[in-house]
Amino acid sequence: MNPDLQAFLQTLVQGLLTGGIYALVGIGLSLIFGVMRVINFAHGDFLALGMFLTLFLFKTLHLDPYLSLLVALPLGFALGYFIQRFVLSRLGDRLAESSMLATLGLGLIVSNMLLLGFGAQPQTINVPYANNTFTLGGIQVSVALLVAGLGTLAAIVGLNLLLYRTELGRAIRATAQNPLGAELQGVNTRTIQAIVFGLGVAFAAVAGVLLLPLLYAYPTVGETFTLKAFVVTVLGGLGNLPGAIVGGLFLGGVESMGSYYISNNYRDAYGLVAFLLVLLLRPEGLFGKTVKRV
Amino acid sequence: MKKAIALGLSLLASTAFADTIRIGAITSLTGRFATFGKMQKAGFQVALDEINARGGNRLELSLEDDGSDTNKALAAAEKLVNEHVPMIIGAYASGITKPLSQYLARVKVPLIVATAVDETITKPGNAWTFRVNNQSSVYSRSLGDLFGRLNAQKPGSIRTVAILTSNDAFGKSVQADAVNQFARAGYTVVGKDTYDQGLSDFRPILNRYRAQNPDAVIVASYEQDAVAIARQIKEVGLSPKLIAGVATGFALPGFLDGAGSAADNFVVAAVWNGDVTYVGAQNLYARLKKVLGEEPSQHAAQSYAAMLAAAEAVRLGGTTPEAAQQALLKVKLSTAFGPVSFRTFGGYQNQNSVVGLITQIQGGKFVTVAPASAARGKLVFPRPK
Repeated sequence: MNPDLQAFLQTLVQGLLTGGIYALVGIGLSLIFGVMRVINFAHGDFLALGMFLTLFLFKTLHLDPYLSLLVALPLGFALGYFIQRFVLSRLGDRLAESSMLATLGLGLIVSNMLLLGFGAQPQTINVPYANNTFTLGGIQVSVALLVAGLGTLAAIVGLNLLLYRTELGRAIRATAQNPLGAELQGVNTRTIQAIVFGLGVAFAAVAGVLLLPLLYAYPTVGETFTLKAFVVTVLGGLGNLPGAIVGGLFLGGVESMGSYYISNNYRDAYGLVAFLLVLLLRPEGLFGKTVKRV
Repeated sequence: MKKAIALGLSLLASTAFADTIRIGAITSLTGRFATFGKMQKAGFQVALDEINARGGNRLELSLEDDGSDTNKALAAAEKLVNEHVPMIIGAYASGITKPLSQYLARVKVPLIVATAVDETITKPGNAWTFRVNNQSSVYSRSLGDLFGRLNAQKPGSIRTVAILTSNDAFGKSVQADAVNQFARAGYTVVGKDTYDQGLSDFRPILNRYRAQNPDAVIVASYEQDAVAIARQIKEVGLSPKLIAGVATGFALPGFLDGAGSAADNFVVAAVWNGDVTYVGAQNLYARLKKVLGEEPSQHAAQSYAAMLAAAEAVRLGGTTPEAAQQALLKVKLSTAFGPVSFRTFGGYQNQNSVVGLITQIQGGKFVTVAPASAARGKLVFPRPK
């Protein structure tokens, strides 16, 4: 294959896989916003928590990072459930700012606890397959990146099944569309909200687990991802799940292509320029009708 | 009796207070440079133990954490200046050290730089900034020498290079020297890229290099980026004849652990390694390792040398900032890090001349392969695919 074409395709595939991870992070944020109208500023910190959990399990029990998904998923869910049930729901509906500030505060607590427990230095794990690659049609892809991409896919499919094929999913959608109406129909919206926050945190934690074989963990690693998740969800429309997926893939692709063909220096700018264009040209994709869709 | 007590008190005062000198130091004990800060702290500790065991003035360390942040470093410097320390050692990163040196020159307190390599810290520099470690062009020069030797052995070994660095003070300084030097020496620079610190996806640039197929790829990065780059070089299938890291993140023992087999046969330009032949280097290596509980990097040795230079300045009468500035000009030491003296030459002011080393990662260890006088192993070239 022509080396330029090969490099183009390889960059595209890797960019989309990276975008898949952005999407996974973004979905959790979008889900929580869609149901509760709360922007979870601690989202990236929950991702960091997932990374450190994996790191901890690997260092103490030599647990394979992908096996720690079995721990991170329920633990993340339980944490999110607990936070919504006992912290955020107690703030009431008085002010939107109070829940926003509460999530900011939670994020600070999480990142500082990680700092206290693990120290500030970046840490990673070196599993034998972290450096493995495989080649398909001349395109070389890292196994860990592909697993992360497939993990995203599985998470999205699972969430869709939950939302559209179960009674719980119906209750979640009902709560998103009209909390009062749902309540009148006998849906316990407080429990539903706690479940949704739990799902959101679980998604962030899973993303953290999938990222650890690829990246370094440090207590403030979440900041970057909170920002990316925010861009992704706004690109697709806050609260719009398919939108978040497309937004993630789009962001990953745009960043990679921009870095390859223009300059790597403006990597973050490519995503943000796209973000601005969406805000200018498709404002209805943001806080308009799409918010109702979950 | 009264007289005896007074005499006793004054003796006590002279032994307990007059002879104890506090040396200020600022490094990054937390934040993204925390690993380097840990190395620096160990270097200071080992030097202090040695100095205080030797007798003479007792030295104590006032160590401040800058949290890898310039503003915090400046606040820490102000605090140390108010405590009247005669001189300050620090900081870790170039981007923090440069403003620190400008501030301390303004308040006329000497700064001893131990690890920051940005050229502009001592070129033009100022009368109050003294650098124990090398400037960044030492790294590109030793890589240039290496390429020259490879081409002399087999013409055409290396003709094209790509240079990827972080876009901070350190990375930009390396990028500027390297591009300048290699272009002048007749190499074709096919890629010169910088990236934002904290970016973890280097694949697009590395894919581009793969298509351009340079003979050598030179990278300068801090800790986590170095590992990510090494892994992703392997991931995208980029395999030039030579991959060189410029000290910093690549010279950390954590790089070996983090990158694993992806780091095999990386060439690392450095100025100190555990296996160098300077007198006392092996011993220093062992002492640093004991304090750290892990493999020391060159940053620990550089900080050790900086503390020895500070102690020597104190011995030469430098107990106030003005006297320390004069005393530092007279320092002439040969340490386990190498010789230390501050000279003014070729546009540099108060710059120590440091010999560049080339190490290569062989069998999971840094092995010094050049210059010939210091080499402990043979360079593997070209890098096996």
